[in-house]
Amino acid sequence: MPEVAPSYSLGQPVEVGKIDKELKRLWQQGEGAMTRASLINLAIYSEAPDALEKNTPIIAKIAENHACRAIAISSNGACKENRVEAWINAHCHVSRTGKEQICSEQLSFRLEGPCANLLASIVFSHLDSDLPFYLWWQGDLHDPMDPQLWAWVDRFIYDSSGWKNFGPQMRLVETAQEEARQRIVLCDLNWTRLDKIRVAIAQFFDHPASHHHFAEMENVTIQFAPGFKSTALLLVGWLGAQLHWRINEPARNGSCRFLDSNNRKIDIELHEATGAPIGKIVLRSREIEFVVSPAKCGDLLEVWRCGQNEKPLPQMMPAQSNDSVSLLSQELMRGGPHRVYLHAVSCVRSLL
Amino acid sequence: MNRDVEQSQANPLREGLASRAVPQPCSVVIFGATGDLTHRKLIPALYNLAADGELPPAVTVIGFARRQKSDDDFRREMEESTRKFSRQPVRDEIWKTFAQSIFYHQSDFADENGFKTLADRLARVDKERGTRGNRLFYFAVAPDQFEPILENLKTAGLNQAAEGSWARVIVEKPFGTDLASARELNRVVHNSFAENQTYRIDHFLGKETAQNILVLRFANAIFEPLWNTRYIDHVQITAAETLGVEGRAGYYETAGALRDMVQNHLLQLLCLVGMEPPTDLDADSIRDEKVKVVRSLRRMSDVETTVVRGQYATGAINGKPVPAYREEENVDPKSTIDTFVALRLQIDNWRWADVPIYMRVGKRLPKSGTEISVHFKKAPAVLFNKENVTLDQNVLVIRIQPDEGISLRMQAKVPGTSLRIEPVKMDFHYGTSFGKASPEAYERLLLDAMSGDATLFARRDEVEEAWAFIDPIEEAWHAKVGAPGLYFYPAGSWGPNEADELLARDGRAWRRL
Repeated sequence: MPEVAPSYSLGQPVEVGKIDKELKRLWQQGEGAMTRASLINLAIYSEAPDALEKNTPIIAKIAENHACRAIAISSNGACKENRVEAWINAHCHVSRTGKEQICSEQLSFRLEGPCANLLASIVFSHLDSDLPFYLWWQGDLHDPMDPQLWAWVDRFIYDSSGWKNFGPQMRLVETAQEEARQRIVLCDLNWTRLDKIRVAIAQFFDHPASHHHFAEMENVTIQFAPGFKSTALLLVGWLGAQLHWRINEPARNGSCRFLDSNNRKIDIELHEATGAPIGKIVLRSREIEFVVSPAKCGDLLEVWRCGQNEKPLPQMMPAQSNDSVSLLSQELMRGGPHRVYLHAVSCVRSLL
Repeated sequence: MNRDVEQSQANPLREGLASRAVPQPCSVVIFGATGDLTHRKLIPALYNLAADGELPPAVTVIGFARRQKSDDDFRREMEESTRKFSRQPVRDEIWKTFAQSIFYHQSDFADENGFKTLADRLARVDKERGTRGNRLFYFAVAPDQFEPILENLKTAGLNQAAEGSWARVIVEKPFGTDLASARELNRVVHNSFAENQTYRIDHFLGKETAQNILVLRFANAIFEPLWNTRYIDHVQITAAETLGVEGRAGYYETAGALRDMVQNHLLQLLCLVGMEPPTDLDADSIRDEKVKVVRSLRRMSDVETTVVRGQYATGAINGKPVPAYREEENVDPKSTIDTFVALRLQIDNWRWADVPIYMRVGKRLPKSGTEISVHFKKAPAVLFNKENVTLDQNVLVIRIQPDEGISLRMQAKVPGTSLRIEPVKMDFHYGTSFGKASPEAYERLLLDAMSGDATLFARRDEVEEAWAFIDPIEEAWHAKVGAPGLYFYPAGSWGPNEADELLARDGRAWRRL
């Protein structure tokens, strides 16, 4: 496809009003066995100055596993003059069978000045019809959010680890969800970061014979990297919500105390340490320790239980990579709402 | 079954994490541990499950075979074959811990003592590795070995689990060679294991597209109203292979295409296409509906006109000359075994009355592929479909392998001032839309067996009903007087001409793959 610029560039500059026409031309000029594929509309919104350049390689990688129409938007409302620039590109990769190229389209927009508020109109004009619309909002949200947008968003993706102030930001997200009559699925990449860790912890308790440990839990220790305290608190919120714990004493020097449904105390200790966003986790019940820890190789978790008269048998399980592509891919693999997430947030809302 | 709810009740931390049943810690004992299936499929599948974090860490694999070797020898062999056959590259860190869960137990299948020591070993594993008395016995051996193994398992008390634990057995095909032998095999298995402990594997059912048939039919509102005799003209099911017997002549000479493929894989696919909606997604609800389809199959009374059996002669595949079946190694030069079968079936129920089902399966055909095509009735002969302009039918194709996907053929106007209508195809490819490779069928099926989900395994009545349908055909073929002929086809062709005539008699033709 000679007209298609290298994958990691923004591609061909186009007039905003002629995008559909130019896209058609792009495909007509394609050579060889090539299939345009799209299962979702994935819009990525950012106010960072180099957002388009940073997001394009992410989109290219995402498109290898999640065929989509990607709409990358960089917005700068601080400029006085109105300026809209647009580019089109296609990210192609060879299919698993090696017979053809599979291509996803990327439309990029740079909005400056008052027109930066016209996000909804830009997005709506370029959605692939009938396909779900996922909006990934990078950075902080602003009040008021555009209600027009929520009418069409199916999944709202964000990363709460980067939020400056969790409470007000979460309220904006929840308001948006209410405006959309709970139709929008909230996808916090900070929660996705915990997916593999949650699986590693949950598997300790799959056998009914392990269930009594829930009622005997005494202490939880979690290590987290700088900038990921909210991730650790979400993990605490998950344990709390699922095991019916409630906060007894608020956080103090990285510690807090929960009570279970029998008013037994469970101490939570959070320790900051460099390394993976979530480091070693130890759950201690009366007679046994459950440990999940990042393995040295970085992309695996080492899990083991250690009890009296029990030989620890460390096993490896997959770890969640912390890069944007892996987090978003993981999120796109999932379906359905994140009810457990909302319960976890509710459980530790006052600590976040 | 709402597994999420079920599992969250059991383990609240699983809520929202798993959309499938979570396997329990167990010991997997593989009988025939030095065989091809263990090397190529079972251990690589278990490794992939471990690497994907799907396997509980406590799961322990014990290879059981006659040859003398140590745990370390066995682990080395398994590592070598996993590196060769695994879906994903083997990672040293994961293999190291996975290998620690692999053990080897040397014994003859007929040696009672070998099973007693196996029981001791399993008890030790339960204690040391937390497998909690759960046992999955995988029979990767020929059916003639089933009986001694099952008897010895029973004698050693391994067929029964302690309270709160389970013992299950996975049995590989062929499950019998006819109804009588299948019943006998079922009797032998049931002497030691109850039906709900028995998992008869059919790897076709582990394939993503086979599972998608139910989703296509019952998760979409547009197909089911058309899925009946009123709108469907006929159905074709094809399983074509370019390969010959490839070293399996010993088995193939006693089986043939009808027993090897139709009795199990193709009838299973037919069940998924033909069944009524189940009341829920429980294993038995689905299998209840599947077995009704086989039970409704009209028994073959006139094999001569409804079944064509063929055998490949010398020919060429992809321009390369290949020998005739009778010239293959270990094949009787006068063999009359079927390497090709075409059948015209009829399901005698309300939904499928008067809808013929055509099946064909063959070796040394020009192209490999398994697919189901549903041919809809033509539009009324008015407007665009007048007598002198016969339009093609709408065809819905479900491709099982390779290039898994679904396509729909419809009519469209060719752009221009004149009215010209041509067929066009809407095509969905799994590989294009979903970048991630599907797990191997054995991964899914092993996980299901460990989780106690028998949905994708054949039940006793399904197997026996299938043999009850197949037996009259085999009997007719082997009749001393008046047996239907065996037709030869050149390797690289689409089977004998008689197979084409089978459809031509009804005014139809095989779909070109």
